[in-house]
Amino acid sequence: MRVVIWGLLIFMLLLIVALPTVMLLGFGMLPGLVAMIVDRTEERSATFCVGGLNFCGVFPYLMDLWFGDHSLDQAITLLTDVFALAVMYGGACMGWMLYLSLPPVIASFIQVMSERRLQQLRKTQRQILDEWGDEVITDADLGGDGLMPPQPGEAGAGIPAPAE
Amino acid sequence: MAEQPIDADEINEPAPVRGGSVVIRERFLVNGDKPLPDLDSPNAKAFMAEDRHDLSRHLFALVCTPGIPLRNKAIRQFKANPGPGLLELIEYESVFWPIIGQRTMVIIYERPMGGRVLTQIRNNQARITEYDIPRKVIQPMVDGLRHIRSLNLAHRAVRPDNIYFVDEDLQEIVLGDCVTAPEGFDQPLMYEPLERALANPAGRGTGSTVDDMYALGASLVVLTLGGNPIERMKGEDLLFRRTNLGSYAAICGNARIPLSLLEPLRGLLSDIPTDRWGLDEISNWLNGLKQTPQQKKPARKGDTPLRFGGRDHTNVRTLAHAFNRQIPEAVRLLKDETFHAWLKRSLNEGNLSETLKGFVDTANFHKDDFQGTEEYLVARCCAAMDPYGPIRYKGISVYLDGFGPMLAMEIIRNGNYQVLTEIITREIYQFWVSDRANFLDSIEISQMFAQLKAWLANNDPGFGLERCLYELNPGLSCQSPHIIEDGIIEVEQLLPALDRAANHTDSHNKPMDRHVAAFVAARFSEDIHPHLRAIAATKESTAVIGMLSLLAFLQWKLKAEPVFGLASWVGGLLGPAINAYHSRTTRRELEKEIPKLVRRGSLPDLFDLIDNAEKRREDQDGYADAVEEYSACSNEISDIEGSGNEMQVKAEKTGQKTAATISIITTMIAVTIMFFSEIL
Repeated sequence: MRVVIWGLLIFMLLLIVALPTVMLLGFGMLPGLVAMIVDRTEERSATFCVGGLNFCGVFPYLMDLWFGDHSLDQAITLLTDVFALAVMYGGACMGWMLYLSLPPVIASFIQVMSERRLQQLRKTQRQILDEWGDEVITDADLGGDGLMPPQPGEAGAGIPAPAE
Repeated sequence: MAEQPIDADEINEPAPVRGGSVVIRERFLVNGDKPLPDLDSPNAKAFMAEDRHDLSRHLFALVCTPGIPLRNKAIRQFKANPGPGLLELIEYESVFWPIIGQRTMVIIYERPMGGRVLTQIRNNQARITEYDIPRKVIQPMVDGLRHIRSLNLAHRAVRPDNIYFVDEDLQEIVLGDCVTAPEGFDQPLMYEPLERALANPAGRGTGSTVDDMYALGASLVVLTLGGNPIERMKGEDLLFRRTNLGSYAAICGNARIPLSLLEPLRGLLSDIPTDRWGLDEISNWLNGLKQTPQQKKPARKGDTPLRFGGRDHTNVRTLAHAFNRQIPEAVRLLKDETFHAWLKRSLNEGNLSETLKGFVDTANFHKDDFQGTEEYLVARCCAAMDPYGPIRYKGISVYLDGFGPMLAMEIIRNGNYQVLTEIITREIYQFWVSDRANFLDSIEISQMFAQLKAWLANNDPGFGLERCLYELNPGLSCQSPHIIEDGIIEVEQLLPALDRAANHTDSHNKPMDRHVAAFVAARFSEDIHPHLRAIAATKESTAVIGMLSLLAFLQWKLKAEPVFGLASWVGGLLGPAINAYHSRTTRRELEKEIPKLVRRGSLPDLFDLIDNAEKRREDQDGYADAVEEYSACSNEISDIEGSGNEMQVKAEKTGQKTAATISIITTMIAVTIMFFSEIL
């Protein structure tokens, strides 16, 4: 609750101090806002993806405000410029496209990598079985330490070495 | 197959022989083409022998019957300590005897040029008068027996056909061979003291000079008379007569014994061991010292006979002997009041009757265990009825000091050795020993039999019946089917014998069978228990390595020559031991190395190769790492493969995160560039 109150206070302060900036951000970042509302995942990947590129499209015009005429008229002029809106929302669109197209590509890539890793692991296992025998499977399944029972001649088995 | 031993009472004519010669210790030539039947022992054939270093020596060789336990200790002692009155034992060796096609012990003796005394007397070549007997016959034999006693031995083969003239002039007398069969085994019943004659021939026991003195007395009767006065009486009849009349009366009977010999013969032929003349008494008599006259003491006889087993018994000793042959009938009699009445009234043995009744009651009480069996009851009663007699159990009669040869004979003849093992496992000997505690070292005997029982209870290789067999018979050759024909008596001969056996034995069988293991355990002075434990292991690889380690230990300790055949034999059996290594590379290396070591004939090297501790540790560590790595791979594979569409979801999430990250980074870069381009 306290956060909300503080947020409202800051927002009110920003409205008083930088109304053009707030106005530009409010309208320009609408796709990002929508993405934030729509994205219910914990990671908020869609929000970051869409919001990030949306901000990338808004930022040049924000710079015009900050380093040019920081007035309400200028803000309205920018927001009514189709080209400016296309840039802002185009950035958001790029974000959405990135968000929607990259996971399948990455998944395919991971799939290929995994299969390659699987092949490597299976090859290693086959090499182990070739060298140490199938009993490795049993011992590995049993979760044993893989140690053999004491053999004659070892300490503990008690057979004296016949020659020195 | 071992030749069957011959009982002294069953000899009819010498066995046919075939040619063949051997050399003993690279010095003595034994000529198989020249048999000397006149010098045969009941269980050893005599052949001409010559000393290659001194052809003027007169020698002969006794070729022992394979499978009969020899008196190893006596052989060694007689060779090391030649003495007066004895045929000199020159040399001995176990060699391959071509006539029988197997190895056997050959013993070289000084050849008695005068032949057997009895033969010469019968052929009228020699005449021994009653006046010659003391100095010409008794004195040398007493010297011989005294020498044997000084070696802590007994001759146990004193009989007329084993007494020889050592010279061609027929003047000097010696006692013949006594080492080619167990003590008393070759003795006809007449020459064994009554108590030992009642036992089976192989079970008559080691005995002592006391027994030799009786045999001396019986032999003197025959030599004095020039023949056996009771020649036609054999077996049970003779025993029955001796038991009833006493040995002196039974043997001498109505024979015309010279008066001067009456006194020593009565003393020597006494049936009570403690009353029997010993070496001191006979020496005193020879020196003319007067001895306390020995009263004729016939066995205690009853007024009325008791019919049992087809004979009329007038004393309990003969009855005890008969009881052991007809156990069910004996039990019926023991439970019959008329028998006890006979004991009390006819024999005046009231105490014995009560004792026997007590045994019957005890047997009734123990109805459900072996102490309630008829055999046990009869054995118990026989021991009480004949205090000087042997252990009688299930038809077998044996002395404890004859237990070893008896066991050997029964095993070799595939006889009833189970009865003997029962005597040990059921402690049948216990009551026999306790009844004789006044003249037996009961503690020593009990300890020995407790040890035998422990060995019998252990069925592992190196123990069991075979261990008892070799421990009780130091002169018995190893009965392993691999080397039985080699007649191996000493452990030093074992590896060469197994080496030879490798050429003709099925190489799938292990050289270390139960007989070989027990033979080594009994004859090898080193501690081999760890090896035996390994041999007994259920895991084949451990058992094989145990076998190799024991054979290698033998070769190393005995400094034996290389054994190429045996190494090859053992090498072929090492599969399980090689497979005990997990690493296939190590296995291949071992398989490659074994033929090289086999060609060196060195079992210790072979053992070092197979059971190298460092190599084994490396193998273990490597295997443990392999198991761990395999397990890790499996886990990773499981992780990768996942379950259901988990991987797809995971990939999508990763893609979304990547997209977000790319987006943020792009924004940050773009914003930074735009910002700086604006302000600069």
